[in-house]
Amino acid sequence: MIVVEGLSVSFGAVQALRDVSFEAQTGKITAVLGSNGAGKTTLLRTISGLKEPASGSVMLNERSLLHVKPENIARLGVGHVPEGRGVIGEFTVEENLRLGAMMAKVNLSAGLEEQYERFPVLGERRKQHAAKLSGGERQMLAMARALIAQPSVLLLDEPSLGLAPLVTSQLMHSIHDLCATKNLTVILVEQNASTALRISDHAVVLHLGSVVANDVASKIAADEDLRRYYLGMVE
Amino acid sequence: MDWLRFGRRPIITTALVAAAVVVAVVTTSTVRDGVAVSIALAVAIAGVATLTSKGIRATHPALARAALTVTAVDVALFATYFFSATTNFNLAIGAAMSIVLLGLSFLTGASGQISLGNGAFMGVGALIMAIWANHHATTPIAITLLIAVVGGAFVGLLLGLPATRLRGPYLAGMTLAFAVAFTGIVNTFSSWTGGDAGLQLPSAAPAPHWLVSFFSAQTSLFTTGTMWLTDITIVVTGVAFFFMANLFASRTGRAMRLIRDNDVAAELVGVSLPRARVIAFIVSSAYAALGGALWTLINNSVSPPTYSFALSVTILSLIVIGGIGTIPGALIGGLIYAYSTNVISWITTQTGLNPQGNFASQLNGIIFGGLLIVTMLFAPMGIAGAVRRLWVHRRTKTALE
Amino acid sequence: MDPFLTSRIVSDILGGLTNGVIYGLVALSLVLIWRSTGILNFAQGAMPMIATYIGMVVFAHEFSYWPCVAISLVVGFAIGGGTERLLVRHLYGKPEINPIVVMVGFLIVLEGVAAAVWSTEPRGIVNPFSPIDFQLGGKPIAMSAFSLYEVITAMVVMTLVAVLFRYTKLGLQLRASALAPEVSRLLGVRVSRMLTLGWVLSMGVGTITTILVASNFFTGLTPQVMDGIFAFGFIAAAVGGLDSPVGAIISGICIGIILQFVGDFLNSNYIILVALGILIVSLMVRPNGLFTKSSVRRV
Repeated sequence: MIVVEGLSVSFGAVQALRDVSFEAQTGKITAVLGSNGAGKTTLLRTISGLKEPASGSVMLNERSLLHVKPENIARLGVGHVPEGRGVIGEFTVEENLRLGAMMAKVNLSAGLEEQYERFPVLGERRKQHAAKLSGGERQMLAMARALIAQPSVLLLDEPSLGLAPLVTSQLMHSIHDLCATKNLTVILVEQNASTALRISDHAVVLHLGSVVANDVASKIAADEDLRRYYLGMVE
Repeated sequence: MDWLRFGRRPIITTALVAAAVVVAVVTTSTVRDGVAVSIALAVAIAGVATLTSKGIRATHPALARAALTVTAVDVALFATYFFSATTNFNLAIGAAMSIVLLGLSFLTGASGQISLGNGAFMGVGALIMAIWANHHATTPIAITLLIAVVGGAFVGLLLGLPATRLRGPYLAGMTLAFAVAFTGIVNTFSSWTGGDAGLQLPSAAPAPHWLVSFFSAQTSLFTTGTMWLTDITIVVTGVAFFFMANLFASRTGRAMRLIRDNDVAAELVGVSLPRARVIAFIVSSAYAALGGALWTLINNSVSPPTYSFALSVTILSLIVIGGIGTIPGALIGGLIYAYSTNVISWITTQTGLNPQGNFASQLNGIIFGGLLIVTMLFAPMGIAGAVRRLWVHRRTKTALE
Repeated sequence: MDPFLTSRIVSDILGGLTNGVIYGLVALSLVLIWRSTGILNFAQGAMPMIATYIGMVVFAHEFSYWPCVAISLVVGFAIGGGTERLLVRHLYGKPEINPIVVMVGFLIVLEGVAAAVWSTEPRGIVNPFSPIDFQLGGKPIAMSAFSLYEVITAMVVMTLVAVLFRYTKLGLQLRASALAPEVSRLLGVRVSRMLTLGWVLSMGVGTITTILVASNFFTGLTPQVMDGIFAFGFIAAAVGGLDSPVGAIISGICIGIILQFVGDFLNSNYIILVALGILIVSLMVRPNGLFTKSSVRRV
């Protein structure tokens, strides 16, 4: 479980997050929604330690993550699939996965097998350079690379960006399944609100760095004003 | 009544000039000396008057730069009259060095690149000067200097061709290779260059006829001993600085600074990167060659081992300490160079080191290398940058109060 | 073919190979640092020179050759790691001339200190390998026990580095830290340690290179022993591409052999000119090096 409380983050004079508070429950998907520049990516980067907050706290199962280096937060079981996937194109698929398995205490070959089973296409292309993969395949690789370390928390930054609708819906399905079977805490940052809300349990809506709504996903999805003004979902 | 707008300034200026002429006539023994001194004083007063006029920097920046140059050169020339021969020699060596530093400062300030081979480019100029003087003894000095500059620019062009596509570390490494190779190259063409032994000028360069005939033999001003060499170096230095100040302020200069700050953006707004980079490199090589040619003139000979990699590093240290990318930085660096030998031998005696010992002989390198590191870490813009920051800081503070 | 010419060519190839592996090693050590920290280390010759003086001169009275080599290596590692932590760390993210200037300053300080402490007199290093050329059919060929030792050591070092980077967990982390530091941190890689390790490794390669050069009976150890070799090593690295370890080694060896032919058939004075020419031409043809896949530089 991740508990964010009173989090404020600034870039020089620009305040990217103001007093943001919410909880992401274990075994549930928490969607973080909002338009461009709402502070969604900054929120994830702060949770995983890439950005120091000005004030507030981030707790992982009662343990404060403040002033902990990103590599140590990762070692505590927080998997972050960054914006743009962060796949290392110069590495082969398998090298990317081996890098992901580096800090895990699991057996490497068993871990690889598990991921190839979950994403068969990665198994077929394991010797290929990651730069040659399609957008959807890269997203799978990025997820697999995070999952192979057996994290308890998964931070996903815009996984649907640039993917075809069909691929997106498959991806969302696998995120949903994963969360249930592995009992993960998933924080899903999305601009594509309708897709994200479909699989989420809970949702937080950010606008210009502040939380404007924080509720059960179905309620957020039903709120006309939110849909219109903050989520850009006009029928 | 146009002059009314300037208040009483022209009247004061005229009065000062008149007073200066009277002082000159009274204090000097011969007519020509008197004329020379009055001219020197008058020029200085006129220059200062122009410089201190309100708004001249904003409305006529080129005129302001010209006035500053003329005043500085004039004062320096006048000062050489009173200095000892040693001081004048040091001054000339330092002034020539400041030309080299100015070239490097421009390269970095304008394009963000660095050269580790400017010592070798100095050597190119120095050798061309000596070779030409040995084959065509009658060529006027100004022409020979120009030939050396063109030669330096040409070698710069040869090496600079790939620089069009290169970023910092490649150019630095390539120029380092050139600096390390230079002595070897000189030896390859030893029939021309004299190899390690170098070349002597055919005879001690005589003062130009017009200078001698103007002041004639009755005066000691300008023509005695080596003083005229210092004076020529100072004049050339003034011209070099004036030219560079204009280049810095010109459209080309602005385009180059944009390249340094963000080359992709520069390309987007239509600046031709390859051309600007090569031009910056050629200008820096040409300036280095000019400095080297002046050294040959001052020393009356050239010794190629002087232009080793160590000299290139000294050049780098001087401009970094003075303030890389700035014009005053080059002057500061040149002054430091003129007196560095004295300062270091002073340190040696003060610390009681054996002057012939290993440590004393390495002190120069250790001090310059150490200063290079410390400056770059703590004050990357050197003395000129630090002074400017203090100045701006004080001005904003007074403005706020 | 004329047997005299044949033996001359063979000699040139062998002699060139001996020089070439040294250039290749210097180039490799430059590439290791360039890839991990984006800095062209101009003190790459001087830092291991200090380590070699400490190991091979200071301890030469107490120990024989091999223990001294081990001591030099340990000192080299320490100098590499210490420099990265104390000096280079402050230069990341600065304009690209800052690290160049600082490392040039470091080079001068180190050479000055070495000359102050040990003087500029060459120090011979006694080693178990004979510098006398082997005989083949009564004629000497340009290969001695010592040059064989040089070539084999260089090959072993290159192979070890390749194995480390290609097949080990550590190598994977080193490569990942260089290519994508932020992503690597998110995957738990201790990137800052990897940067230090890059310098440590590079100094290891550099120290072995310097020991090989200084052990040469005809060279000896001087404070500036690596200056010229650094220039050739840089040329090799730039020609091969600063990003490519394989390119560095191959172009180092090729340049060594080409220059040997130049020295033999033309004039040894032309060697450095030809090397500069190779550098200029290759940079004009392939600015990013002959062995790198061309890539677009990001803003």
